[in-house]
Amino acid sequence: MTWQQFKQQYLVRFWAPMPAVIAAGILSTYYFGLTGTFWAVTGEFTRWGGHLLQLMGANPETWGYFKVIGLQGSPLDRIDGMMIIGMFGGCIAAALWANNVKLRMPQSRIRIAQALIGGIIAGFGARLAMGCNLAAFFTGIPQFSLHAWFFALATAAGSYFGARFTLLPMFRIPVKLKKVDKASSVKQDENQARRRFRIGMLVFAAIIGWGLLTMFNAPKLGIAMLCGVGFGLLIERAQICFTSAFRDMWITGRTHMAKAIILGMAVSVIGIYSYVQLGVPPKIMWAGPNAVIGGLLFGFGIVLAGGCETGWMYRAVEGQVHFWWVGLGNVLGSTLLAYYWDDLAQPLATNWDKVNLLTSFGDKGGLLMTYLLLALSFAAMLLWEKRFFARKAKRDEQLIAEAA
Amino acid sequence: MSQYIPDYQLDMVGEPCPYPAVATLEAMPTLKPGQILEVISDCPQSINNIPLDAKNHGYKVLEIEQNGPTIRYLIQR
Repeated sequence: MTWQQFKQQYLVRFWAPMPAVIAAGILSTYYFGLTGTFWAVTGEFTRWGGHLLQLMGANPETWGYFKVIGLQGSPLDRIDGMMIIGMFGGCIAAALWANNVKLRMPQSRIRIAQALIGGIIAGFGARLAMGCNLAAFFTGIPQFSLHAWFFALATAAGSYFGARFTLLPMFRIPVKLKKVDKASSVKQDENQARRRFRIGMLVFAAIIGWGLLTMFNAPKLGIAMLCGVGFGLLIERAQICFTSAFRDMWITGRTHMAKAIILGMAVSVIGIYSYVQLGVPPKIMWAGPNAVIGGLLFGFGIVLAGGCETGWMYRAVEGQVHFWWVGLGNVLGSTLLAYYWDDLAQPLATNWDKVNLLTSFGDKGGLLMTYLLLALSFAAMLLWEKRFFARKAKRDEQLIAEAA
Repeated sequence: MSQYIPDYQLDMVGEPCPYPAVATLEAMPTLKPGQILEVISDCPQSINNIPLDAKNHGYKVLEIEQNGPTIRYLIQR
């Protein structure tokens, strides 16, 4: 294999989502073992909102929410912070390799409105539930925290309403179907592609170098950054999208991404279990109404916005201006939740137990319970898929009958 | 150079997901059997939805061309 073939095959072409999501599940398991925390992004984004408030003269460090999630130091001193910087680096490198950075402007004002409002709702909901698609779902369920199951089911329900809402006529730009008699050419500027690839390689080398150097002084921070690069490469190159996993089950009946995510979690669960057996404490959150309400809001918000907290990161660096608005909305929404937390905390969250399935059902019971629930979710999805296409076939038959 | 000649084109440049996939699925039934739709999208995530959705809904994906930020799909009814 020549370098050109390698580059085209592995660095430029999109990766298949199924193996990439499973790889993310494995990497997030090692990440937990090496750093003691789970792969998560929203908490750190909320802290960034807190730092902004500090710059503006406010004292968010006295707010209850920041006492829960911590606001000490800067992103450079925190595992989550260094991981996210690595993740951004990985996303930028991957997008540049494939010449996939382009300023994509929103085509109508309604898109900007839905990006911002959806982002705010999702940011608020995610922080209310103490995590987004990662900490309260993809990496939360393998922690054996019951709240992640509440959140996942509520998110699925919320995304159903989000999908119905997002396809209302007010959000639809008329489809421009054009009669053509030849194929259009979508050739890229080869010089630009070569230049971008080189810049991507520089970014990649710089971020890996930064991570390696950090490892000498602060091993966990360095590891976090290197893992972040891995996560960033995976989500951009394979276009991993948790929002589409939920949304497209309802809209087009596609379950490929959702299946990949369940398999990714199934792979992660046994690994996290082994670390917990070795004494690493799992991250457990309150299994209260906050997880359910947060999940409903989050599910609705991510579908309206078109992406979640993980999804907007790689889309924003690809130049999708739509997702700059989503990101802004996320930070606004999560800061809003932090502001109101002291009033909401007791009734919705802190009065409820932090339920660890490994203690409620015993070690083996909790493990079996988690796999049983994952299997049930997989089966429910297969049933939905079958029903979706059976109903579609019936509709098609009716249409043909009416036409005849 | 593509060996297929499309009959219709759907330009979804600038539109985020899920709209490119939804518009594709809505456009396909308006074609006659055998006709080809060319979809142009610069939503990178469409790579994970347009081809699979087209297949799941009974259409044939003839060609996928990824060229920098623009992706071109040829789908036959």
